[in-house]
Amino acid sequence: MSRNDSKYFSTTKKGEIPELKEELNSQYKDKRKDAVKKVIAAMTVGKDVSSLFTDVVNCMQTENLELKKLVYLYLINYAKSQPDLAILAVNTFVKDSQDPNPLIRALAVRTMGCIRVDKITEYLCDPLQRCLKDDDPYVRKTAAICVAKLYDINAELVEDRGFLESLKDLISDNNPMVVANAVAALAEIQDNSSRPIFEITSHTLSKLLTALNECTEWGQVFILDALSRYKASDAREAENIVERVTPRLQHANCAVVLSAVKMILQQMELITSTDVVRNLCKKMAPPLVTLLSAEPEIQYVALRNINLIVQRRPTILAHEIKVFFCKYNDPIYVKMEKLEIMIKLASDRNIDQVLLEFKEYATEVDVDFVRKAVRAIGRCAIKLERAAERCISVLLELIKIKVNYVVQEAIIVIKDIFRRYPNTYESIIATLCESLDTLDEPEAKASMIWIIGEYAERIDNADELLESFLESFPEEPALVQLQLLTATVKLFLKKPTEGPQQMIQVVLNNATMETDNPDLRDRAYIYWRLLSTDPEAAKDVVLAEKPVITDDSNNLEPSLLDELLVNIATLSSVYHKPPDAFVTRAHSSAQKTEDDDYPEGSESESSANPANGPASPPTSSYTIPASVAPASPPFAAPVPDLLGDLMGMDNSSLVPIDQPTTPSGPPLPILLPASTGQGLQISAQLTRRDGQVFYSMLFENNSQVPLDGFMIQFNKNTFGLAAAGPLQIPQLQPGTSARTLLPMVMFQNMSQGPPSSVLQVALKNNQQPVWYFNDKILFHVFFTEDGRMERATFLETWRSLPDSNEVSKDFPSIVIGGVDATVELLATSNIFFIAKRKNANQDVFYFSAKMPRGIPLLIELTTVVGNPGVKCAIKTPSPEMSQFLFEAIETLLRS
Amino acid sequence: MGLVFTRLFSFFGNKEARILVLGLDNAGKTTILYRLQMGEVVSTIPTIGFNVETVQYNNIKFQVWDLGGQTSIRPYWRCYFPNTQAIIYVVDSSDTDRLVIAREEFHAILEEEELKGAVVLIFANKQDLPGALDDAAVTEALELHKIKNRQWSIFKTSAIKGEGLFEGLDWLSNTLKSGGG
Repeated sequence: MSRNDSKYFSTTKKGEIPELKEELNSQYKDKRKDAVKKVIAAMTVGKDVSSLFTDVVNCMQTENLELKKLVYLYLINYAKSQPDLAILAVNTFVKDSQDPNPLIRALAVRTMGCIRVDKITEYLCDPLQRCLKDDDPYVRKTAAICVAKLYDINAELVEDRGFLESLKDLISDNNPMVVANAVAALAEIQDNSSRPIFEITSHTLSKLLTALNECTEWGQVFILDALSRYKASDAREAENIVERVTPRLQHANCAVVLSAVKMILQQMELITSTDVVRNLCKKMAPPLVTLLSAEPEIQYVALRNINLIVQRRPTILAHEIKVFFCKYNDPIYVKMEKLEIMIKLASDRNIDQVLLEFKEYATEVDVDFVRKAVRAIGRCAIKLERAAERCISVLLELIKIKVNYVVQEAIIVIKDIFRRYPNTYESIIATLCESLDTLDEPEAKASMIWIIGEYAERIDNADELLESFLESFPEEPALVQLQLLTATVKLFLKKPTEGPQQMIQVVLNNATMETDNPDLRDRAYIYWRLLSTDPEAAKDVVLAEKPVITDDSNNLEPSLLDELLVNIATLSSVYHKPPDAFVTRAHSSAQKTEDDDYPEGSESESSANPANGPASPPTSSYTIPASVAPASPPFAAPVPDLLGDLMGMDNSSLVPIDQPTTPSGPPLPILLPASTGQGLQISAQLTRRDGQVFYSMLFENNSQVPLDGFMIQFNKNTFGLAAAGPLQIPQLQPGTSARTLLPMVMFQNMSQGPPSSVLQVALKNNQQPVWYFNDKILFHVFFTEDGRMERATFLETWRSLPDSNEVSKDFPSIVIGGVDATVELLATSNIFFIAKRKNANQDVFYFSAKMPRGIPLLIELTTVVGNPGVKCAIKTPSPEMSQFLFEAIETLLRS
Repeated sequence: MGLVFTRLFSFFGNKEARILVLGLDNAGKTTILYRLQMGEVVSTIPTIGFNVETVQYNNIKFQVWDLGGQTSIRPYWRCYFPNTQAIIYVVDSSDTDRLVIAREEFHAILEEEELKGAVVLIFANKQDLPGALDDAAVTEALELHKIKNRQWSIFKTSAIKGEGLFEGLDWLSNTLKSGGG
């Protein structure tokens, strides 16, 4: 079809895109500008206008800054989808980076950094180098950030071109904004690199401290964050730094305040003088308190950070507990955080006030808040021994209100109080027992049962109380069941009378016979055996004195706290999680690939296994360890009767579980490129390992969405290849890849048509349409490991086969260089060397191999070593396979 | 005649004539563009992409597109073909080794449907260099005599010295004014 005919396929009605295209190519500037605006509008609402790429890029060379910005915006968005055409914009970028207008220079270099296309990146270097040394500070500071962006795209390039050094030079820049951005860029680069790149020296330190006072608020944040990583050489230096930084505490921007607090806290670790520390603590309190007068969202962030700060330095806010009292109109998330900090700040001095507050909160309407308040009272009781009695009396008052959830929560904390102060407050048990009937929550029930069991000897009707719970034993949640079991055992040990004896029988029966919960069953068996062997020992074990508990439920581990304090004023300190728990960085993924290498290493070890290793001496190829044998079904293949079993799906269970997931060595051919697979790229090849055929596959998810639910299906083929088990690919996050070895079986779905080496594969997942692709079956993966023949057997077989079974083919371009190398190479594919003889100037080699079902294959190669041209003759009972055999041998010789 | 009239009218109506400057890399396209626009020689680097400038000459505004000549960019020339009135094809007359490639690229352009109406001006550039072929030799090498149904002309130029460029532009403006191509 000629090009002219294509017009019949396009509709005569013009769509939006052709209309825009026409306007973009208009002669008139205004019209072009309007058109670009329309394009950007369409882009913003999500229409795909990437097909207008060249037309928009053609509008790029303009004096009109507004138009230029719009075109740049378009480029950032679509360069990735048009990586080839993006190169057309390079010259304009280079020109713009030399424009007399600094705004345009900066704009150009900033935009280039946002275009993550490899082909463009290399052209970015020269303009970037120029802009880093630009006269205008605005351009320099933009270029500094661009280096960080470039590092993310291509770290090697940044290091090779010396950008890191230029960046470090910018720390000594005379413009504070440039310094701040250079620091920000270096910190960003450091985060993504495992090598030390950015280390503050005493020289840079003074530069940074000078710039700190002059740059913008966000620049100050960058510098403060960098300074907080600086390890001062001694207490004196730390004091000096802190002194320079303390004015930042008065800043209006809370990010600056928090960063300054972080920095001071870090340096305080080094300061030894208690006076200085006390003084600093005094200085830090007012700014932190001020943060709490901001809007609730900021308050929350501040509270989460303060939570960390008071764990390390409670003195800072020790006198400020009143600001953490909840206001009636605080949002619930703020209230909860405030409660947490109130508990941390509660002391003997302020406990009365705090308890009054808590008691007030316990009568509010919000159930979660009330519960937390009740729990807070309990935690204060545990924390402050001298105040415990007062706390308990408040709890008892609350129980008397008889609000169901208050009572339940109180019982839960009273259980902890009993653990903290054993044999002190048991007098209140009677009050607790009054509310027994109202308990309906598992935790409260479990706590009450624990109390009854623990103090069975003091509760007269303990057996009755427990019995009332036992009626519903099978329906109770596991938590309650476990406590019931333990409590009954305790009761029995304390009061070994008839009633408890019957109860224990019932409980143990129930817990061992009628439950599916292994924890419960195991615990019941232990008790049962203890009681039946030695009741005295059981007493020692079950009624042993318990260690006194402390309240550390909401305190962080010191090492975690250290890490979080370093990250104050970041998301990490709000989540109370270390950054790597929720951010995946480039270098952490690099570590992952290192980990991935391990199995490969162990793989090479296992390939030294004499059964299949390429390095193994050929003679030992029979000595297969017995343990490997069951994992290699094709070994059994020579006996046709076994094939029935072979074809069964049972095979998959024979394959070692860890094996299919181990990655294999050489890169696999790409069968489904990412461009066709909507971002999913599949590379695959048939391989043979440990006597079994595998489909070695590599999945790379370059799309924007996680992919899961992978399934694979093979079309009927000449060799009847089919998957022996399901495809095991975990969910693939965007940007990740997974390798697998899919075990395969033969002779399962044979096609009846003419022989062909094409393997048609269909692959689906939950997110995308079904993908179809073709692979070529390389026959040599079918050669079995037992293909070696004695010379006599070889000769005999050769003679026994009629000459009509001999087929030969020439490979004119193949050269056999080294004989040993070729022999070894073929041996790795289970083609075994038999003999060699000279015929005139030619060498003749004989090889044997065995195909599935035990069909022997005899090969004769005739060549002049070192010269092109190999004649290959094969003799086999099934010459119809010869086409594939030649293909396989040719492929092997070529490699 | 109607066509001639509209052309005349359009150019006097302050419209711009769209002109593409094409040729192999290092032929001197960018230097020619800025020589025409600013009248001076600027230092250039290989154009990865394009330059576009407006050149006013003989009462005609030329919108001149200078496209990068590197092999990797040549495939994208076609993005610029629509609505083009004229092509300036620049040849490095001293680079005799690559005249064959220059000829092939040139004739490939002439085959393009979208450039059917465009007039062609050939600059045998770099005449200042020793060993540069003259216009007759370049005409021979590019097989210009094979051009049919199209107005074309060739000029000896030296962008560095500024020779021959405006003579070429004269021809171009006259040809466009008279509705040629």
